[in-house]
Amino acid sequence: MPPEPLIDVRDLSKSYRVHKRPPGIGAALRSVFRRKYELVHAVEGLSFQIAQGERVGFLGPNGAGKTTTLKILAGLLYPTAGNVRVGGYLPQTRDPRFLQLITLVMGQKQQLLWDLPPAETYAMNRAIYDVPRAQADETVAALVELLEIGDLIHKPTRQLSLGERMKCELVAALLHRPRVLFLDEPTIGLDVSMQAKMRDFIRDYNERFGASVLLTSHYMDDVVALCPRVVVIDRGHLIYDGDLRELARRIRPDKRLTVRLARPVDRADLERLGTVVSAEPAQVVLSVPHDRMQAVVRGALEALPIVDLTIEEAPLEEVMRELFGARVREAPAAPRAHEE
Amino acid sequence: MSLLRRYAVLLRVQLTMSALTAMQYRADFLVRGLIATLWMGVTLVPILIVFGARQTVAGWSFPESLVVVGWFTLLHAVLEGAVSPSLTAVVEHVRRGTLDFVLLKPADAQFLVSTAKLEPWHVVDVAGALVIFAVAFSKLGRWPNLPAVGTGLALLVLAIVILYSIWILVISASFWVVKVDNLSYLFGSLFDAARWPISVFRGALRIVFTFVFPIALLTTYPALALLGRLDVRTAAAAFGGGLAFAALARWVWHRALGLYTSASS
Amino acid sequence: MTTGGMTTAPAAVPRPPGFAAQAARALKALPTLLRVGISEVVAYRAEFVVWILTTNMPLVMLALWHAVAADGPVGRFDQKGFTAYYLGVLAVRLLTTSWVVWQLSMEVRDGTLAAKLLRPIHPIVSLAADHVSAVPMRALVISPVVAILVAVAGDRLLRHDPVLVAVFGASLAGAWLLIFFTMVLMGSLAFFVDSALGIFELWLGVHAILSGYLVPLEVLPGWLRRAADVLPFRFMLAFPVDNLVGLMSRRQALLALGAQWGYVLLFAVLALRVWRAGLRRFAAFGG
Repeated sequence: MPPEPLIDVRDLSKSYRVHKRPPGIGAALRSVFRRKYELVHAVEGLSFQIAQGERVGFLGPNGAGKTTTLKILAGLLYPTAGNVRVGGYLPQTRDPRFLQLITLVMGQKQQLLWDLPPAETYAMNRAIYDVPRAQADETVAALVELLEIGDLIHKPTRQLSLGERMKCELVAALLHRPRVLFLDEPTIGLDVSMQAKMRDFIRDYNERFGASVLLTSHYMDDVVALCPRVVVIDRGHLIYDGDLRELARRIRPDKRLTVRLARPVDRADLERLGTVVSAEPAQVVLSVPHDRMQAVVRGALEALPIVDLTIEEAPLEEVMRELFGARVREAPAAPRAHEE
Repeated sequence: MSLLRRYAVLLRVQLTMSALTAMQYRADFLVRGLIATLWMGVTLVPILIVFGARQTVAGWSFPESLVVVGWFTLLHAVLEGAVSPSLTAVVEHVRRGTLDFVLLKPADAQFLVSTAKLEPWHVVDVAGALVIFAVAFSKLGRWPNLPAVGTGLALLVLAIVILYSIWILVISASFWVVKVDNLSYLFGSLFDAARWPISVFRGALRIVFTFVFPIALLTTYPALALLGRLDVRTAAAAFGGGLAFAALARWVWHRALGLYTSASS
Repeated sequence: MTTGGMTTAPAAVPRPPGFAAQAARALKALPTLLRVGISEVVAYRAEFVVWILTTNMPLVMLALWHAVAADGPVGRFDQKGFTAYYLGVLAVRLLTTSWVVWQLSMEVRDGTLAAKLLRPIHPIVSLAADHVSAVPMRALVISPVVAILVAVAGDRLLRHDPVLVAVFGASLAGAWLLIFFTMVLMGSLAFFVDSALGIFELWLGVHAILSGYLVPLEVLPGWLRRAADVLPFRFMLAFPVDNLVGLMSRRQALLALGAQWGYVLLFAVLALRVWRAGLRRFAAFGG
């Protein structure tokens, strides 16, 4: 009998009113007296379960409803309809025991006190979360070591760079050893090496402490590196829930064959082998259905002056573009590729 | 840990953070202290001018009006030193989107928000207020007796509670209308009228200053108490009204928070 | 083999556009900036209302002096005189104040000033455009005040002396500019000190006394009144209002107008100097 899911979402919906104003002076003046409102459906009929210790990525284009979903799970927004349980609690009641269980990290926003060193924020959080001093010190020491921030926690927050601040932010967020981590675009604005370090840290943390991780991002690299399971949301609807690779294979069953050539080759020769994605004099990329890959490779080795050859999955960015682009062209009644 | 003890600990932590923050900007600290002192001088000018032209205004003599100004200065110190900075910080949180962090903490949001930031240099104003009281009563030739002082202090506490409640209402409004920097100035400008005894105002302004922004409760009644002219019934009614008002403010705060969490994204 | 390239002198750095060219460019963008400014004002309508309500001191003071003057005038002011004066103060004040200091001090702190510096319009020009664009809305707002003023004390107002009326118009523009440049000056302090807003609030207190906002300058005690007569504060408020409610002779008005515009020039120069110095510091320290 499978254990109770840690996070249980059924038929979640969230809508809110936004006032619309077209540009121009006339409209501006009219809006002083009367405003037009529009109902926006941020999330509709979302359902999924997450078990303790899972790492799940929420993917989707901007405005898809990922952040809204995360905030509802954290209790910061009230759902319009549907059922949400996290750790058995109803998030919107903001039960202190629920709040002890979770943490939220938002990219480019910090809870760290601006004028004081992060260490002071840790002291404050220790008091607020009622963490015994010995445990708090231990946690901070362990996290500081893992994140390699050393003495930074004693410099005023405003003197730290964004990357350093985000690392210190993580310590503040994890001080009370939450069992559920909500991460909303945590790597946005960070440079590539910092992004990689953050991902490694999150994965380590999850493996070491068994904390569940819910991550929203529109950096594919974040999701690929961290999340074996993805929930894809587009315009408030759940499109896919399952393995990322499986999704890619389904949307883009073709693989990529990249060959480096010794000398330029006729385009016609290339097209005989497969669909040409890009053709430069020294390097050609072909798209080939994976069941034909073996035959094509053999043919290429025979026909082309090959210096080097690589076989890869279709880039995930393209998969996502295909997935979301397809939604625009689909009729409203089209079935969704939804996994149980 | 009992609830009271827990919040006492949290209060101590918040006070420490404010003190540390204030000390981070040492030069600013000194300048602000100086400005607070100078401000007090500026506060006295209007009353000096008015009583330069007349002996009594609306039944109040100069020393009696000084008592009102004394309470005004004291309240101003509390307002600008404790209430206003913390609650202004809330507006900042709403603007930056970091209010969410406050709501995620397992402690009462109103408490956290109200104790977040204090400006200690306003303690200068308290000293100034005491000087003003001394001058007023020496001019009157008599000093307030103990019960009068007791009632006056009780009314001071009530005044602080009322001011705080008004501020909570204002901050709750900021959840609807995000850009409300000006509300703190509106508040300050209405509060400014509290330096005058309520009997100066007639008609529409009197209604505003009795029901919308009750300056009578804030400064006139405490002054009357110190002068020994406040009857028990009025004092009791004031207390009742003040406490009811505080309860209303807390209720509005909850509603506003509810609206914030269901309307924003 | 030859390298094939010639060593040429690097192309001359293009000279920055002259003042005339800059001014012309600013003027071209002005209508758009004004339109956007108006939209902004309208968008933040609640805040606008709040700001209007904040300017209630004249009404409070009117109530006070009305009570004082109940048993006899104070100097030249009887109850009707006070009413006319304070309504005038309300109207002129609402029309001419700006929020430059808060805006600048926030932009310096936030760093959003840096973004503005990248635009090819002088930031002060865009600042001025912002504030000028609020004027039409404000004129709308003060029209009821002006209507009441005329109804209650119309006979006290400016006589049909065209010179005085012209002086009044010029004095309004002068007051607006003087206030604007003074605020730019104070806002530029934010480049140098953290507590620019605190200093500004103190200045506001002094201004309230010396500009005629709190009480008509005539009512001030001797030495204070003499100081107020020559300091620039008077020309931000008391001068236009005194003229409006018929308290000045032609000679007095013209003299005051000259002094006012003298101050406008002085503060314009000062403000730009301090601004430039502040900008250099801002660029050096990154804000």
